[in-house]
Formats: sequence, C-alpha cells, structure tokens
Amino acid sequence: MNISWYIVLSALLFTIGAIGILVRRSPMVILLCLELMLNAGNLALVAFSREVGNQQGQVFALVVMVIAACEVVVGLGLIVAIFRRKLPLDVDDLRRLHG
Amino acid sequence: MSGAGFVAPHVDYAATAPIIALTVGLVVILMSGVFETTKRWAPGLAVLTLAATAGLLLWHWNEQIDLIAGALRVDNLAISISLIAILSAFTTILLSIRERAADEAGQGEYYALLIGSVLGMVLLSEAENLVTFFVAIETLSIPLYILCATNLRREGSLESGLKYLIVGSLGSATLLYGMAFIYGGTGSTDFAGIAHGIEANGMLHDPLILIGIALAAVGLAFKTSIAPFHQWTPDVYQGAPTPITSFMAVATKAAAFAVFVRFFVVALGPETGDWQTGLAILAAISMVVGNVGALGQNSLKRLLGYSGVAQAGYMLGGIVVASEKGLSSLVFYLAAYLFMNLAAFAVIVARERETPFGDDIRGVRGLAAERPALAWPLTISMLALAGLPATAGFIGKLYLIEALVEGNYTWLAVFIAVGTMISLAYYLRVVAAMWMSPGEQVAGPAASATGAPASGPGSTPVIAGASPEADPVDPRAGHRWYLVGPAVLAAGITVFLGVIPQPLVDFASHAGASLF
Repeated sequence: MNISWYIVLSALLFTIGAIGILVRRSPMVILLCLELMLNAGNLALVAFSREVGNQQGQVFALVVMVIAACEVVVGLGLIVAIFRRKLPLDVDDLRRLHG
Repeated sequence: MSGAGFVAPHVDYAATAPIIALTVGLVVILMSGVFETTKRWAPGLAVLTLAATAGLLLWHWNEQIDLIAGALRVDNLAISISLIAILSAFTTILLSIRERAADEAGQGEYYALLIGSVLGMVLLSEAENLVTFFVAIETLSIPLYILCATNLRREGSLESGLKYLIVGSLGSATLLYGMAFIYGGTGSTDFAGIAHGIEANGMLHDPLILIGIALAAVGLAFKTSIAPFHQWTPDVYQGAPTPITSFMAVATKAAAFAVFVRFFVVALGPETGDWQTGLAILAAISMVVGNVGALGQNSLKRLLGYSGVAQAGYMLGGIVVASEKGLSSLVFYLAAYLFMNLAAFAVIVARERETPFGDDIRGVRGLAAERPALAWPLTISMLALAGLPATAGFIGKLYLIEALVEGNYTWLAVFIAVGTMISLAYYLRVVAAMWMSPGEQVAGPAASATGAPASGPGSTPVIAGASPEADPVDPRAGHRWYLVGPAVLAAGITVFLGVIPQPLVDFASHAGASLF
C-alpha cells in the first residue's frame, strides 16, 4: 500500500501548525496549533505503522493522544490563570521578562 | 514482536522499584495535601521518597538490566544521572522552605509535581525505546510547566510558565515528528531495532531516517537549551520561582543529556560519523551564543540561564566524540555543574528574600562585607563555572577538552577555551560586585544586617529592572540553615572535587563504561 499521500498530508499539517505558532498571537490558537503538530506526528506514525507492518506505531500514537490531552489541560489552566490576573491574552504583550 | 498475539512482558519488580517508589510517593504526597493537618508533612514525605529512590537505585549499581520488553534499561549511566536529578530535587525542597510559590500552589501539589518531574527524569535516563523516551520527556516537562507558574501573584511567573509550555511543546512535537520518521525508516521503536534498521539500509541513502534524525536532534536541542533553540531559557529561568529554576537548570539538563547520548550512541551508533559534525556545529554555536548573551545581563538568573546555554555547548562536546571518555567527562561535568549551580542559586534565593532587588546583580553588592557566608559560596561557584583551577569546573573542562582532542575534535576544544575566556567577563563581574563595591543603600538590607527586621511590607520600594513583586519575605534569610547550609556545602564540594577529583572520576567512568 502506498502511504506517500498520508505522509504529505501529515507534513502539511505539521507545517501549518508550526507557521501558526510563529504568526498567531493568541495563546488559545497557539495551543490548537501545537495539537495540530502532535497530530501530524500521529498520522505519520499510523501511516508508517501500516507500511512497516507492525503495531508499534499505532501503540505510540495512542500514547501520544493521552500526552497531548495532558498538555492541553495544563495550557488551558495557565491561560485561565493569566485571564484571572487580567493580563493581556496576547503572547506579544507578555514581555515582562526581557533584557 | 509482531503478530503471534499479545504476550504480557516479564516485569522485573526489583529493578523497577525506584520508579514504583517515586510513583507511590507522588500519590501519597498529593493525598497529604488534601487535609489541613497532613499538609505540612509534604516536604518531609518528598525527602523520604527521594531518599528511598536513591537507595533503591544504588542497590542496582553496576548491574545492567533490560526491563519490560526492552522499554527501559537500568545501567550505571541511568543510575548516575538519576542520582544527580534526585540530589537536585532534594536541594530544591530545602530552598523551597518558606517559598511563597509553594504556599500558593499548595504544599501537596507543589511537592507532588516536583516528584512527578523527578519520575520523568528517572524514566528518561533509563529509556531505551522511542515510546518510553517520549512519555518520559513529557512526564518530566509537564509538571515543570506548572511549577514555573506556581508563583501565581507574580506576573513573570505565569508568563514564564506559558512560554515554557509553548516552547517546550513545540520541541516535543518536533521530536515526535522526528521519531515518526525514524520509525518509518527503520520499522522499529526500539533503540536496538533502530540501530539494526539503520545498519540494513544505510542512513545516508534513506531520506526518511535523515529527516527523522534532524528533527529529533532539534527537539532534543530545545529541551537541553542548545543554541539556536535556546531563546526560552533566560526568560523562563528569570520568571520561574528560583528554587524551581535551580532544579530546571541542573536536573532537566542531566536527564535530557542522558537520553541524548543513549539515543545517538545506541540507536544511531552505526552511523556515528554522519551526525558528529552536525552536533559539533551545534555545540560551537551554543558556546558562542551563550557566552556572548550573558555579557551585560543584570539579572543573575538570566545570567545563569545564558551561562547554562554555554555550558550545554561544552557538555554536548562529550556526546560529539561518541567515546567512553567523552561520556565519562559528560557525566563528570554534569555532577560538577550540579554543585556549582546549586551554590549560586542558594545564594540568589537568600538574597531575593532579604533584599528588595530580586535577582538583580545589585542584590549581591557589598555581600562580602555583609554576609561572608553567602559571598564565598557565590564566589566559588562563579569561579568554578568559569573553570578556574582548584575547582570542579576546571577538572570537568579539562576532561572534556582531553576527550575532544583524543576524538579528533581539537577545533571544538579550542572553542571551549575561547568560550571560557569570554565567560570570565561576566562571572568576574558578579564577583567584583560582591567584593569591590559597597552595599546598595536601601533601608531594608542595611537594617537587617544588624539583625533588626526593619523592612516591613510597607517600606519595600518598587525598583525598575528588578522583579518588583519579589519583596523581601524573610529579612533574616541570609542566616537560615536551609539556605546557607546548601550554599556552603555545595561550594565546599566544588572545591573538594577540584583538589581531589578521584571519587567523582571513578563514579563518572563507571557511568561512561555502560554504553561502550
């Protein structure tokens, strides 16, 4: 089975995610882009698993899903904490630490 | 491994005991935070957990055991790196006594997260499979994202947590994508299987593996703060609560380097010559960027952040040569780095609490006259980080340079020497501030020198440049045993290992022998 289209799609997803992190300024959208990048990895893992013919890649993808969920939980928690402090929800304005 | 149904792997409980101990400790500490009466036991329970884990790890010293179908491997490298992480966590607990961040996050949660991060580090140093590698690196990182942000009242702390989360996750995602390609190219997630697959195909002929290795190296460079992937380091170091910064600076680096070397030497071992040059260039860039960036920093934590970037470059040299000597010198340097950094951070914590300057360099002006017990450790630490003789830092650099010259990377050794010269400029600036300038004239610290707690909450001025929220919480912090003790002890060990390095050399060469 030819998996090249799946790999192309995953590369596209990864690139879109990476560009999104660089150009978007809302932490929420950045979190979404991070998810996109992790899921690009998942797609590649599952596709390769099909090609290689063993299940290790699929197991890996399942594990990654759990980890991605953990990351989002922490990220959203931090965003809520920042929102409560009435700080700007904009990564360009969060520049207290500089020098 | 494929087909033939699922067979439950054999689990060697004796060798997994350190991991089990950490997990149980984590749960108990978290539960202790629930009740008002048990809450104050959390630090004690955390120390107990770490001591038990260290004991269980030492029990397996000089053994080589593959665990759970080759997912983990207990050997001297894993044990020595785990011990460095545990020691760093132990001192973080001491430095966290009366730390506002620990109270605000809740004692139970704070220490449980710390233990969780140590769990990730122990797993990471033992990881021998891409899946465990990724799970461990996330187990290490996710608690740290939260710990950075625990000082909820300080804007900088939240900011550093969010920055670390974004950059750290970006690094993880890149690493994962690299791993996917390596799996695609070799058909295995196991380090030994990857080595086998590379041998069969030849790395240079397979673009999949090449892309995979490049992406994985970038992801690891993010985690070990190697330039040009270091931009988060100074910001996160400055914003995080200082005890956590001290933990991140040493323990994260040690664990990430352990898996770095295991991955490159074991999994990518068949094609050593092809990745050496790339890593050597990264190391050189890191030394230059770190040392130049640290010049002119006024925040001590930022300064140590940039210095950490440069030191990561030196340590990467130990991986570049891919030899037993290189690995031994890497472990030696990591252990020495633990003591050098610890002395500096303990002093910074003490000064942060007793002066209104936060971690600004003004906080240590005139420290020699005012608090010799703090000035000496910081002086020794700065000189050791710069690599002056009669300190562990000197011996560490000597071994690294020796390993590089033997491995035909003399040009990288020259970079270390030049980097050391540049680094003297900013390390000596801190020393000069302590010994050659008068104390900063502020009502708080001047009065506390005589022992009177005069700096009430109302009299703390907000100073531009320093972290304004870091008002003194403990005017007698410079006399507390849990701050002065670690500082003096770490500085003492730094000098001791500089004069009599043999014990640490033996320790490091045992670790170095486990991969070659």
